[in-house]
Amino acid sequence: MTYTINIATENKPGVLYRITGLLTKRKINIENLNAFETKKPGISQITITADIEPTAIDTLVKQMDKIVEIVNIKYHVAHR
Amino acid sequence: MKMLGSEAIIQTLLKQGVTTIFGYPGGANMPLYDALYDHSDKVRHILVRHEQGATHAAEGYARVTGKPGVCFATSGPGATNLVTGIADAMMDSIPMVCITGQVAAHLLGSDAFQETDVIGITTPITKWNYQVTKAEEIPMALAKAFIIAQHGRPGPVVIDITKNAQMEMFDYKYPENIEVPKFAKDPTINTEDIKKAAELINNAKKPYLLVGHGVLIAQAETAVQTLMEKADIPAAVTLHGLSAVPCNHPLYVGMLGMHGNLGPNVLTNQADVLIAVGMRFDDRVTGRLSHYAPQAKIIHIDIDASELHKNVKAHIAIQADAKTTLDALIPHIKKQKRYAWRKSFSLLKEKELHAEIKRAIKGDGLPTMKDVIETLSEETDGNAVIVADVGQNQMFSARYYCYKKPNSFITSGGLGTMGFSLPAAIGVQVASPDQEVFTIAGDGGIQMNIQELATVTQEKLPLKIIVMSNGFLGMVRQWQQLFFEKRYSSTPITGPDIVKVADAYGISANRVTHKKDLVSAIQKMRSHVGSYILEVKVEQEDNIFPMMPAGASVEEIRLEE
Repeated sequence: MTYTINIATENKPGVLYRITGLLTKRKINIENLNAFETKKPGISQITITADIEPTAIDTLVKQMDKIVEIVNIKYHVAHR
Repeated sequence: MKMLGSEAIIQTLLKQGVTTIFGYPGGANMPLYDALYDHSDKVRHILVRHEQGATHAAEGYARVTGKPGVCFATSGPGATNLVTGIADAMMDSIPMVCITGQVAAHLLGSDAFQETDVIGITTPITKWNYQVTKAEEIPMALAKAFIIAQHGRPGPVVIDITKNAQMEMFDYKYPENIEVPKFAKDPTINTEDIKKAAELINNAKKPYLLVGHGVLIAQAETAVQTLMEKADIPAAVTLHGLSAVPCNHPLYVGMLGMHGNLGPNVLTNQADVLIAVGMRFDDRVTGRLSHYAPQAKIIHIDIDASELHKNVKAHIAIQADAKTTLDALIPHIKKQKRYAWRKSFSLLKEKELHAEIKRAIKGDGLPTMKDVIETLSEETDGNAVIVADVGQNQMFSARYYCYKKPNSFITSGGLGTMGFSLPAAIGVQVASPDQEVFTIAGDGGIQMNIQELATVTQEKLPLKIIVMSNGFLGMVRQWQQLFFEKRYSSTPITGPDIVKVADAYGISANRVTHKKDLVSAIQKMRSHVGSYILEVKVEQEDNIFPMMPAGASVEEIRLEE
């Protein structure tokens, strides 16, 4: 199933690496990735689309949410 | 106050209450060691013989003190040698702060001498890491490191500090009242969930308590016993939950998992309500997931939200620490007796004992690993701290020592790191100098960090070390015997003469080759003042049972070959 994960995070070095590392660990290939600093200073928005097992998505997102810098994280089935 | 970055590191550690550091100096952390030189009255630095030893010692220290273990290492190989211990601490939820030296900031990315991407390497195995390139960043980075290592589910943090940052002068101020938003407030417990959980337990015929490491971390041992006793619930422990419930408690039924006891595994699939506290349904505990407790309603309590519903879907999932949750739950629990359910555990215990007696090796008088651990348990009355290595020695230590005090069994569980026991026991002994501490290792594992015997000697630690030699990498050999037609591929292992090795390191030692000498040898070891190594030549092809073969369910656990 293709999911889109929306992440709001403190804009710090290494956060993207930590997020993508959790995908690498499960051999998940990223289909689309977008990252930019928002109008709110110091806060970045990261959007990732990838093919992820429906049984894994919830745990994966909760594991991402443990990253210290992440402020908010949500996921939904990608609109094709 | 104006000070050097290196001094600021030490000052911040002192503010955090750090009194012990395990480490090894090198080019990129020399300024840090220079600053440390002036504080030897307040901080004890334990010089290990390999940085991996520092991490395991810090883990042992953290397990018994509840405070983060602190490690120093230099850049490059110093830092990469930390990797196994950091990964171990991550898997086993152990708070640790590692401070690595790094090449000067202007050299980063240039493949300078002893440069490695420490942040890159340690990201997947840390809770948090941060590279400091300016002295001003030091106080905040370190203060945050300690908050993150300890809060929520504990874990390791790495702070990589470039050499220039250690050598810069700056205006130091300790950051008071800092907050890491992620840990700013403790998770709140939903009262409805507590009531629903209590109702499930109160209406259950066969409730069953699974106790994990989280109980020890949250210091919820008394709460667990209160719940057990009030509702008459049998309790089993995971490998890391060992010692959370005293082995002689009438409702304690034994250990879960691949080499756990018969009843605790089999009856998982007969319980109507499982109450899992501070445990994560590891694959070694559940066996085949599709056949794990399909009949039971599951109440899962864990501080880590990502562990809830990860392996086993819970009917009631509570994200909070074990003590807070149990304290909220206990008032809603009704007193009752469950004789029949308890009886089913004792029947299976008898069956297991019967199989054990049948399997008992009679022969040339070589002791078995069970003999060694049982004797030690009796002689110490279950009051020592046992630091076990990995493999058969670990499982015998887990199963046949009667643990009576919390945090008295320490081992590498999640990562299964051979070579863990000697350095980890150093950390335990440093943290509790008056406690009787035993390293239990096999002839494989002891050779993986044998260099730390020099640390034992230099620090004058009264550590007692038992090496159970069977001439094999025993656990792998057991699997080869059972599942690979006894094709003992690369499992026969030779070692040095342990007694001579001990002598070379200035440690007293003895060797036992007969069962009849075991008691007196252990008594002699215990009465010896200072460190001591006892090598026991044990039965070569002894196996640990029960055993849940790979892919088997908890019900399919085997009692014999």
